[in-house]
Amino acid sequence: MSTYVDRSSKGKIKISRPNKGQLKFRMLIIATILFTIAGFFMMDYKGLELWPAITGTLVNLRDMFLMPQLNQITLGSAIWQVIITLSLAFLSTILGAVISLFLAFGAAMNLSKPWVSQTIKTFITIVRAVPTVLWVLIFAIAAGLGSVAAIIGMVFHSIAYLVKAYSEAFEEIDEGKIEALRATGSNYFHILFHVVIPQTKSFLIAWTFLRFEINFGVAVAMGAAAGAGGIGYALFMSSGFYYDMNEVGMITYMILIVAILLEVVANKLKAAA
Amino acid sequence: MNVETLTRPDNTAEKKTQEVVFPFPEEAAQEKLSVEDVPVIMEIKNIDKSYSGSSKVLKDISFDIRKGEVLSIIGPSGAGKSTLLRIINRMIEPNSGVIRFQDKDTLNMKGKALRHMRTDIGMIFQHYNLVDRLSVFENVLHGRLGYKSSLQGIFSMYSEAEKEKAVEIISELGISEQIYSRCDELSGGQKQRVGIARALIQDPKIILCDEPIASLDPNSSRIIMEYLRRISREKDITIIVNLHQLDVAKQYSDRIIGLNDGSIVFNDVPEAITAESINHIYGSNLEELIVE
Repeated sequence: MSTYVDRSSKGKIKISRPNKGQLKFRMLIIATILFTIAGFFMMDYKGLELWPAITGTLVNLRDMFLMPQLNQITLGSAIWQVIITLSLAFLSTILGAVISLFLAFGAAMNLSKPWVSQTIKTFITIVRAVPTVLWVLIFAIAAGLGSVAAIIGMVFHSIAYLVKAYSEAFEEIDEGKIEALRATGSNYFHILFHVVIPQTKSFLIAWTFLRFEINFGVAVAMGAAAGAGGIGYALFMSSGFYYDMNEVGMITYMILIVAILLEVVANKLKAAA
Repeated sequence: MNVETLTRPDNTAEKKTQEVVFPFPEEAAQEKLSVEDVPVIMEIKNIDKSYSGSSKVLKDISFDIRKGEVLSIIGPSGAGKSTLLRIINRMIEPNSGVIRFQDKDTLNMKGKALRHMRTDIGMIFQHYNLVDRLSVFENVLHGRLGYKSSLQGIFSMYSEAEKEKAVEIISELGISEQIYSRCDELSGGQKQRVGIARALIQDPKIILCDEPIASLDPNSSRIIMEYLRRISREKDITIIVNLHQLDVAKQYSDRIIGLNDGSIVFNDVPEAITAESINHIYGSNLEELIVE
C-alpha cells in the first residue's frame, strides 16, 4: 500500500488533496449557503399575504408586457425622448472615446514611460471605482441637475473604462512590429497611426460600442435620477407619478428594441472593420 | 516514357520558380571584385554590451563592413548575434565602443540625425513583423516613413514617385498580384518578400537580416537567400545576415563572422572555414552538428 495516498477517517482513499486556497474557497461557499438559509428564517413576513402578493405581481407584469400602450404621452414624443436618450449616450461615448484614445497611448506600458503609465492607470482606477451615478451627482453641484451634469459624469466614467480597455489592447501588440517601424526611422506618431491603430482597430470599435450600450442604459437611469430628460424621465413619470403599468411596459419595449438595434449595428461594424 | 511524363510537371514548376527567383536582368549579375578593392562603409570598434546585472553579451567586437558584400554572422544561440545586429542600427545601445558609418559617429546621434541614419539601414526579421491588417502596398510604403514629418506620416502623404517606386519593387519581388491583399493572407515566403520590399524602398546602404529564413521551408528559404544575394550584386547594397544554417552561410556569403559567447572567433571568406574553426564557433566537432 502506497504511503503517498491520503485516506479519510474511515480509511477511504481521497482522490484530491486541496491546497490552502481551495480550502478557504470551500469554507466561503459553505458559509454563504448557511447565511442564506439563516436569512430566510430571520426575515419579517408579518405584513405579507402571500397569495395576493403573487397575483398582484402577475397582474402588473401582464399589464406591462402583454398590454403595452401609451396613455400620458404620444408615440411621436416617446420616440423623440428615445432619441434624446440616445444622443446623451452618443455624445458622452464619442467625447470619452477621443480623450481615452490619447490617454491610452500614455497608459500602455509598451508605448509610454513607466511613470506616465502608472500615473494614468492609478488615476483611472480611482475614477472607475466610483459609480457613474455618483460622478453625475458630484458634477451636478457645479452644473446643476440636468443633461450637462449627466454628460460630464458619463464622459468621466467612460474615460476610466475605455482607457483600461484600449491600453490593454495596445499592450497586446507584437513588439516586433513596433521595432520594425522604428528601424525604418519612423517616429512615435508614425508608429501610433501605422501600427498601433490599424492593428487594434476592431478591438477599439468593439470596446467603444460596448461602452455605448452601457451609456445608453446609464442615460435612461440618469433621465430619472439626475433630471437629464429623455425616455428615462418619461418612464419615471409613468411609473412613479401616474402608476400606469401599460405605459411602463410600452416604454420598456421601446428601450429593448433600441438596445437590440445597437447590438446588430455593432456586430455589422465589427465585421466590416 | 513513363519517367518523362512524371518529371514534366516538376520541370514546369522549376521554371516558374526560376522566373520568380530571377526577375532582375541577367547581365547585371556579375561576379564581384576581390574583397580588398571594395570600400569600407562602416567601421565597428571595441563594442561592449551587457544587460543590467548579467554578464557581457558582447566583448570587444571590432570589424569592418564593406560596400555591397554579403556578410553572414553565425554562432550558437545566445552568442549575441541578434544584439550585434541591433547595435548596428542602434535599436540597442552598446555600453562602449565606436561605430563610424558614412564618416559619422552613429553612437552620438539623437532625434532627427538618428532617424536619418536608420533610413540608410533597412532591416528584415524572422517573424517578418508586418502590420498584417494592412495591405502589402501599405506595408511596403512604411519604409518611407523615416523620410516624413509627423503630419505627413499620420495622413499617409506619399508622393506619386514613392508609390511608383513601391510598385516597381513589389513587381521585382514577384508579389504584384498580392499588392492589395492583406498581409495575413500571404504565405511565409511572400511575407518575407514584403519585408525585403519594405527595406528596399528605404533606399538603404545596408540591409540587416535577423534570421530571415528560420521560419521558412527549404524552397522559400532558397528564394529569399537568392534575392538577398542579387540585391547585394545588382544594387550594391550590403547584406548582413544572422544565420543558423552553416551550409547556407557558406553558399551565399562573401564573408562569415563566427560569434561565440560574445566574441568574434572567425572572420574570413567562406572557403577558409575549416573543421577546426567550426569547433571554435559552435564549441563542438563538425560530426556532432546537423549542418543541413
